[in-house]
Amino acid sequence: MFTETSMATAEAAPRNEPAPTLLRVENLRTVFEKDDGLVHAVNDVSFDVRRGEVLAIVGESGSGKSITAMSLLRLIPSPPGQIIGGQVLFDGQDLLDLSDDAIRQIRGRDISMIFQEPMTSLNPSLRIGRQLAEPLRVHGSVPKGKVRERCLELLRQVRIGDPEKRLDAYPHELSGGMRQRVMIAMGLACLPRLIIADEPTTALDVTVQAQILELLRDITRANQSSMMLITHDLGVVARYADRINVMYAGRIVERGTAHDIFHRPRHPYTVGLMASMPRLDDAIGNRLTPIPGSPPDLSDPPSGCPFHPRCRFAQPRCKQERPPLERLDEEHWKACWVNLDDTH
Amino acid sequence: MTHTDSHTDVTAPLLQVSGLKVHFPLRPGLFGKPAAMVKAVDGVDFTVHHGETLGLVGESGCGKSTTGLAVLRMTPLTEGRIVFDGEDISHPDAATTKRLRRKMQMVYQDPFGALNPRMRVLDIIGEPLRVHRLTRTRTEYRARVMDLLDRVGLKAEMADRYPHEFSGGQRQRIGIARALAAEPSLIICDEPVSALDVSIQAQVINLLEDLQRDLGLTYLFVAHDLAVVRHLCHRIVVMYLGRVVEVADRERLYQAPRHPYTRALLGAIPIADPDPEIQARFNPSVDGEVPSPIDPPPGCPFHPRCPHATELCRREAPRPIDVEDGHSVACHLHDPSRATEMTHPEPSYQEQARNIA
Repeated sequence: MFTETSMATAEAAPRNEPAPTLLRVENLRTVFEKDDGLVHAVNDVSFDVRRGEVLAIVGESGSGKSITAMSLLRLIPSPPGQIIGGQVLFDGQDLLDLSDDAIRQIRGRDISMIFQEPMTSLNPSLRIGRQLAEPLRVHGSVPKGKVRERCLELLRQVRIGDPEKRLDAYPHELSGGMRQRVMIAMGLACLPRLIIADEPTTALDVTVQAQILELLRDITRANQSSMMLITHDLGVVARYADRINVMYAGRIVERGTAHDIFHRPRHPYTVGLMASMPRLDDAIGNRLTPIPGSPPDLSDPPSGCPFHPRCRFAQPRCKQERPPLERLDEEHWKACWVNLDDTH
Repeated sequence: MTHTDSHTDVTAPLLQVSGLKVHFPLRPGLFGKPAAMVKAVDGVDFTVHHGETLGLVGESGCGKSTTGLAVLRMTPLTEGRIVFDGEDISHPDAATTKRLRRKMQMVYQDPFGALNPRMRVLDIIGEPLRVHRLTRTRTEYRARVMDLLDRVGLKAEMADRYPHEFSGGQRQRIGIARALAAEPSLIICDEPVSALDVSIQAQVINLLEDLQRDLGLTYLFVAHDLAVVRHLCHRIVVMYLGRVVEVADRERLYQAPRHPYTRALLGAIPIADPDPEIQARFNPSVDGEVPSPIDPPPGCPFHPRCPHATELCRREAPRPIDVEDGHSVACHLHDPSRATEMTHPEPSYQEQARNIA
């Protein structure tokens, strides 16, 4: 078995050639200063995003998934937050080392972010056209005379009807779904190589969610971009993700292909999540198996494995030593001392 | 804890809602005349039987929460009739309202906003006991709250703590204990698990199931998560833009949905399984979004998004048709008497039905 640190060597000679790495995150640590102490929101997180893939980060509230995403582009409000360690390698440069000007050049041009709440992410006092044009102007991606044309093209691409009229509209004049389409158009404006979508449809109704996610995936594919999808919704993950990182208490506890995570989960937390969720294709009358207790307080995390107080497979060792993220096979990794098989 | 309402006739429905309309003035115009009306609920009928869980589902703006508030008599009716336990409560007097406040209780979505942060858990849970004078002595009061804490899986020593000391799931348990205190015959649950994390949701869902089995509770369950609704509800009412579009028991609703909206809704839920065969069932089949309830479309409220809409749908709102015993659909497609007006070249219709079922 390989440990996380030997990942680079392990990937040098893969059996199935995976797509080349676009972004590599190594040992990322982000903390927040709170009244009751230091909160380790992201704790020694490492993963990579490959070209053309949809990589999901799944977790519950407080798992650190959004803080991870925001740390990559250095969008952590500081204070109280601070990135205290790690590297974010993109095109051979460490984004954490760049000057403020240099990271601003990357944001929106090479890596863009789509947030959960389109009403608070759009400026309510500026017309849609002006906001859509901003990334194009800032990065000079298209000549000045072509900006309006490109904006119309983007609105058409995200299937907003009557785009000429929408360019002059204010955010409040659009529905929730349309605002999220505008956010996506802004995110796509400069054809970024990586799109980070943080719960992009959580605020939307399910029929609209379906339209938006299909659109986002299709456009990402067409542009040959990669997408990092941050979500708590396992249904969304199963449909759209190629590979999945499961986060718990600020750490990645399991990683694998969608098939690995859903059909042969090996971490008790992942197993627990699957069993606790009602599904549309369950037998009616099945009783759910909840995970007991609640997620830990990250200003005072448990010793050993952060999941051990809720884990039904916990052994004495789990309380004392934290398990490293170890490789099970080509794509499948887990951080757990217990060897689960398919019979759990 | 037992429910001993001597006059309860278990064969009659516990709750009967007919022709319910709740319209809100949008904002007063210049001379106090409302500029527009929001037709939040616009003609809704359903019944809730003793001991069952009835699900009220739909997307935002469909009127499901307003319907819940109307049943609780916390919002005035514009039209319609609500009969609860054999009594017409459409226009209750003060004494009736007070009685209803005891017999119907609500569990709220937000376990953080629903509990008074300055009250101890003992008094949050015990408040209904005091208001309705259900316990005589301090000892009895405390013992009763301990009993309720135990019921919802909390420890007795938690009684003297304050809400901020509890997690989301525990707070929801406190809210449920409070709702149980006055021994209600109907509990209205408005999105009781949607604010909770997945791992905690199951704890609360199981608790609601246990309480129903042990205490014979009746739930009106308002929610948008169709997987949770399928798990908990015996029968389901699907709402769209203030109206009921389909009513069926859960087996039939999920296996053979009839209304194009129900089908689209079920087809749009991503299933937590990457298996390509399972993903092939994914079929949202509608475009666009729910129109505004201020200016709902004429005819069938769903027609602007419906792949099967005809001239008839644009003109005339469909009435509910019983397609099977206990399964009704408000759609012209299922009304044999309108068949000639609904002839519409739509070869994919059966296909879609198969995909979703």
